[in-house]
Amino acid sequence: MIPKKLFAEHESFILGTGFIVLLLCAWESIPLWYTLPKGMALFFTTPSKIVASFYELLLNGTIEKHFYVSAVAFLAGLGLSIVVGLPLGLLMGRSRTLEDLLDPYITAANATPRIVFLPLLILWFGIGIWSKILIVFAGAVFPLLINTYVGVKNVNRVLVNVVRSFGANEWQLMKIVVLPNSVPYIIAGLRLAIGRAILGVVVGEFFGSSQGLGYMIASAATNYKVDVVFVGVAIFMALSVILTLAVKQLESRLASWRPETAKTF
Amino acid sequence: MSAKAHIAEHRRFWLGLSSVFILILSWELALTYIFPVNPFFFTKPSLIATAFREQMFSAKLWHDLAVSSQAFLWGFSLAVVVGIPVGLVMGWRRRVEYSLDPFLTAPYASPLVALAPLFIIVFGVGVTGKAALVFLLSVFPFVFNTFAGVKSTDALLINVIRSFGGGEADLYLKVILPSTIPYIIAGARLAIGRGLVGIIVGEFYAASEGIGFAISQAGDTYRLPEMFVGIIILSLIAVALTELMRKLELTVAPWRAGEEVR
Repeated sequence: MIPKKLFAEHESFILGTGFIVLLLCAWESIPLWYTLPKGMALFFTTPSKIVASFYELLLNGTIEKHFYVSAVAFLAGLGLSIVVGLPLGLLMGRSRTLEDLLDPYITAANATPRIVFLPLLILWFGIGIWSKILIVFAGAVFPLLINTYVGVKNVNRVLVNVVRSFGANEWQLMKIVVLPNSVPYIIAGLRLAIGRAILGVVVGEFFGSSQGLGYMIASAATNYKVDVVFVGVAIFMALSVILTLAVKQLESRLASWRPETAKTF
Repeated sequence: MSAKAHIAEHRRFWLGLSSVFILILSWELALTYIFPVNPFFFTKPSLIATAFREQMFSAKLWHDLAVSSQAFLWGFSLAVVVGIPVGLVMGWRRRVEYSLDPFLTAPYASPLVALAPLFIIVFGVGVTGKAALVFLLSVFPFVFNTFAGVKSTDALLINVIRSFGGGEADLYLKVILPSTIPYIIAGARLAIGRGLVGIIVGEFYAASEGIGFAISQAGDTYRLPEMFVGIIILSLIAVALTELMRKLELTVAPWRAGEEVR
């Protein structure tokens, strides 16, 4: 048995990992105590088979090839949304007129799942890298834009007035007060944007691609290779968790003075 | 009130409206006079309006909407029924929190839509597959927001109930649930967005009816006005549902007005 003191100290870790291990074991052992009907067996796989096919796909370079394609679309789309979202968010936060002019579009686009634009993008840009980059961009740009804009809006008026009183122009004001104040918001926006960008990559590759991890999942599902589907899903899951945790680290480092808000992805 | 004062007061509304109006007008004019429109690749507002009028009176659009809403409602209700109790227990029982948190955080952070092809193949193209997908995507915001709500319950209120001899049921019904409701509504707003993604991806992937299918089919057959009608209707529904939740949130918990969780 685990000593009591050790358990009390690491309770959250032991229970957390224990539960996952327990579920994996239960999943693995299903075929041992229950013979699945033929129709069901086609859709069934076990963790050990998933690991085996992951290893196999890794060795023959399939994962590397698809991963590279997905990564390019992800980085290009996210980069584009940072390049567009940040400056526009800063401008919108500083100018009421611009904010009022753009508000209807941003409200509508933020509420609508941007995935609906995929058929349109495929029609315009064909099946290839551009429709993927643009669907990633469409997903990721709004959280960045909105968070930047909220950060700029929430800037402390007193600080703004102080800097103004000492004769700063708009550019200096931006550099000294507005931008540092919005950094935590921007990072939080980045965290949301990463999630949306990955979603864009997955769905973009389901429909508008002949390469990439999303394509790998879709084509494996069509061929009833369920273990390959789970390999793809697991890769996406691991990437999302790693990236989200990395940005969270950054967030807590840059905004340790800010009170914690609710957990959102 | 003079017209000027009225405009100054509702500046936001009027500027927004005029910007939408100007966009539509310049889109229409540019494609009528400057660039000749190639109907296979682009369309203009007047054509979309015509298609909109036609679609409104056709049974197909309403049928598609009904099919999609049915799957959405099944999945969403199931997410409410499962997500809220799990979140409540997770927030209230420390060991349950420790056990479930890592197991549920990973899928919440990851694009579960990746499972769409599998779901469609296992459950078929009908309501079941889409409803399962909607459930899978929208259950997590309910779990985690309910959990955050329970965690933020005022300890003082709990002690008051205990001091006056309230039991476990009183605790849940009189303190924990009421203070959690605003969080649940905020979760519902996130869940609606995710659920819509589920419906659309499910119907893009494989379907024979539904609004997502209508949009992708219109795209495949180069009927751009119809496609825009589908997109516009879907955005209207999404905006209406999201704003409804926002209003509800403000009505139930006016003190949370500034705290934006997107």
